[in-house]
Amino acid sequence: MSNPLIREKICDGVHFSSVTDSKFKHNRITVNLVTPLDKKTVTANAVVPFLLRKGCRSCPDFTRLNRRLCELYGASLSCDVAKYGGNQVLELSIYGVDRRFTFDNMDVTSQCAQLLAEILFEPNLRDGFFPEEDVKLERQQVVDAIESLMNEKRAYALSRCRQTMCKGERVAIEKYGDIEEAKALTPEKATKAYQALLETAQIEIIFTGCGDPSAAKEVFSKAFAGKHRQPILPAVQSYGIMPEGRNGVQEAEDQMDVAQGKLVLGMRAGEIKDKKALMATRLMTAIYGGTPSSRLFTYVREKLSLCYYCAARFDRLTGLMFVDSGVEIANRQTAQEEILHQLSLLQAGEFSKEEEQAALLLMQNSLRSVTDSLGAIGDWYMTQILYGSCDTPAQESEMLGQVTREEIIEAARRTVLDTVYFLTAKEGN
Amino acid sequence: MDNRIQETLKGQMQAIRHSSGLMLLLYPMKGFSTVYATFTTDLGSVDTGFKTQYDDDMVDVPEGVAHFLEHKMFENEDGDAFEKYAKTGASANAFTSFDKTSYLFSCTDRFEESLAILLDFVRRPYFTKESVQKEQGIIGQEIRMYDDSGDWRVMFNLLEAMYQVHPVRIDIAGTVESIAEIDADLLYRCHRTFYNLANMVLCVAGNFEPEQVLRVADRVLKPDEKPIEITRKAWEEPREVGKQLVEQKLPVAAPLFEFGFKGVSGSRKENLKNQVLDEILADIICGESSPLYRRLYDEGIINSTFDSEVMSGRGYHCILFSGESRKPKEAAKEIAKEVERIRREGIDPELFELCRRAAFGRYIGLYGRPESVAGIMGAIYFSGEDDICMPLETVFSATMGQMEERLEQAMNPEYSALSIIWPVEE
Repeated sequence: MSNPLIREKICDGVHFSSVTDSKFKHNRITVNLVTPLDKKTVTANAVVPFLLRKGCRSCPDFTRLNRRLCELYGASLSCDVAKYGGNQVLELSIYGVDRRFTFDNMDVTSQCAQLLAEILFEPNLRDGFFPEEDVKLERQQVVDAIESLMNEKRAYALSRCRQTMCKGERVAIEKYGDIEEAKALTPEKATKAYQALLETAQIEIIFTGCGDPSAAKEVFSKAFAGKHRQPILPAVQSYGIMPEGRNGVQEAEDQMDVAQGKLVLGMRAGEIKDKKALMATRLMTAIYGGTPSSRLFTYVREKLSLCYYCAARFDRLTGLMFVDSGVEIANRQTAQEEILHQLSLLQAGEFSKEEEQAALLLMQNSLRSVTDSLGAIGDWYMTQILYGSCDTPAQESEMLGQVTREEIIEAARRTVLDTVYFLTAKEGN
Repeated sequence: MDNRIQETLKGQMQAIRHSSGLMLLLYPMKGFSTVYATFTTDLGSVDTGFKTQYDDDMVDVPEGVAHFLEHKMFENEDGDAFEKYAKTGASANAFTSFDKTSYLFSCTDRFEESLAILLDFVRRPYFTKESVQKEQGIIGQEIRMYDDSGDWRVMFNLLEAMYQVHPVRIDIAGTVESIAEIDADLLYRCHRTFYNLANMVLCVAGNFEPEQVLRVADRVLKPDEKPIEITRKAWEEPREVGKQLVEQKLPVAAPLFEFGFKGVSGSRKENLKNQVLDEILADIICGESSPLYRRLYDEGIINSTFDSEVMSGRGYHCILFSGESRKPKEAAKEIAKEVERIRREGIDPELFELCRRAAFGRYIGLYGRPESVAGIMGAIYFSGEDDICMPLETVFSATMGQMEERLEQAMNPEYSALSIIWPVEE
């Protein structure tokens, strides 16, 4: 079975964590650079992982780097930009087979760790800066990512709702930043962002797999030895409570060239005092709109056919809950009323033991499967670390099982509507 | 290959012929929480004509019947299979490919209950005139939706251009016209023929004990009344492609292309082995470590969406390169030129060795997750192999000689075709 997480500090603001499990055949090492979302830095930060993925001192070009990965039994090196609450997280990750499954007994894992450390610390700079042609090519990746968000109407509507709800807050900033700034990125700006991240980001290195993490820990401990860092703590802030002075529900609407409307209801989950309350809100969200047998799915979608999709999700790091749905423009009002009506039923305790059971079963199922995937284990503990806890999926599953009916009702009553956002067709269409 | 690796991978699999006639391939994986089960029949979209030993003549069936049947199986007199799974917490699905139909679920708890649901509903057909009509509407919508999908069209346009008679050229779901010909009697007949236990396989991998499967199988599975031997319609597919270029306009952001080399299809066993070898070959030609990839990427002819795929099944085998490109014709021309060059000058032995190592690591990965283990067991079984390590062994023992032979047979630019989807001009 999966061993619990072991987390050690290896430098100022740098932690090395490991979760090992002998059932796997691979090992995965991820370096997460965590930094509070900030309009001034977000766009330049976003291009950094893509630039680092291009090469390093010993493999100064893309082909050489890929050949090196082939030698390491096709190890995969990936980079990504993620958002955890009010933080931007830049991920660099390498995944390779364990020594036991090589035909020449190669120590793939420690070589992967070395390569990853080199990618992080010794990028291929020219006269101290990322090469101009690389910056041009890779800033386009960021531009494409921002544009594809515009094209993904469901994600776009969610993001617009969050922006309206949390105007001026960190959590309203998008993880890839701003498109105009992305187009204007230069080698100087990108290099400066990279250097600032190395100095100030909180760095979480997570090892998951079947092998021994000590060699990887050694590699990173050495790489960070003697570095003087001034880490900035990650942003931890809940937005669950209604800001003072807010009167009534906010409304926002955009018009775009769409056939189907997107309705998003932004809610605040209230004051969550402890883990018991957190678990109750999680379970309540699942009963409300988190599973194929949930209220929103069965009533709003199946029985009344008001929406193509209708789901609720809750984010523990922000305390926010969003209900989003794809709806015929003419059905907007009816759908909104029905979504809120279903919440009021939960608040009145009008739900069955079976619904509670079905939601619990599905959540426990998905918690149990977390330990079957190296990627899912890494993501799980990143959320835990940023939430300031260290529970295993099994512990959370157990806590969920103890949630009472009264606690679910209480969680529903804490939840209040803040903002209604509607993405609709252009007039005249 | 290193015996330790083989023993580790092989040791876990049990193949049991159940008294009902069904083959059970069981692969318990210690330490995992998930169990993944697939119940698969050897019927796909390319099976457009067949007969059994009891029929005098071949029966020709409308295109898309396998996919239609898959959709209809979920409905029964006593309700929908998904509703039953909701009570056990399993997540379930099904898919139809060119030559298989598979029903599956995964769960971490109450495995026996979910397995009983799977083994029951797939064997219990229930079709009425009304329900067939309703489904014709639903699948018709699905087909139209795919008509607008650039990724889908670019591939099917290519297959249609490459293959002149083989039904791999037809959309898996068929056409609105072809599915209009389907009725309940025909569905019953297909079910009787192909959902015979001797023509199916159950693959289970992950967190379970073999006794659990046997217990459920004993209780739920009833033997078929009579054994069935299927003869499938054979296709005389010419070596030449039908068209070398096919173009279409759709609302896509950037032009899409797919460039294919039509290979020679052998037995199912040969095709599986060649598929593994050709994946290495495609990597040598234009994988991320190849000189061609670098050149095309730096010149902006391809981007990170570029990929290759080997498609192989009953009666077809081809190697496909695809992605977004602002200059799709140039991309295809450059790939063809590189193939010509390597055919002339030979394969770079160093690059071959790198690609072989990478393929080895990739294949090891397939034995590490319940869902991919179940998939590989099914593929091995239907190819007539019994060694689950066969693909890995093929990678391990691959030689330069084999690569050159495959290059000669499977990648001749004379038998290639290009499909392009252009954006609609604003």
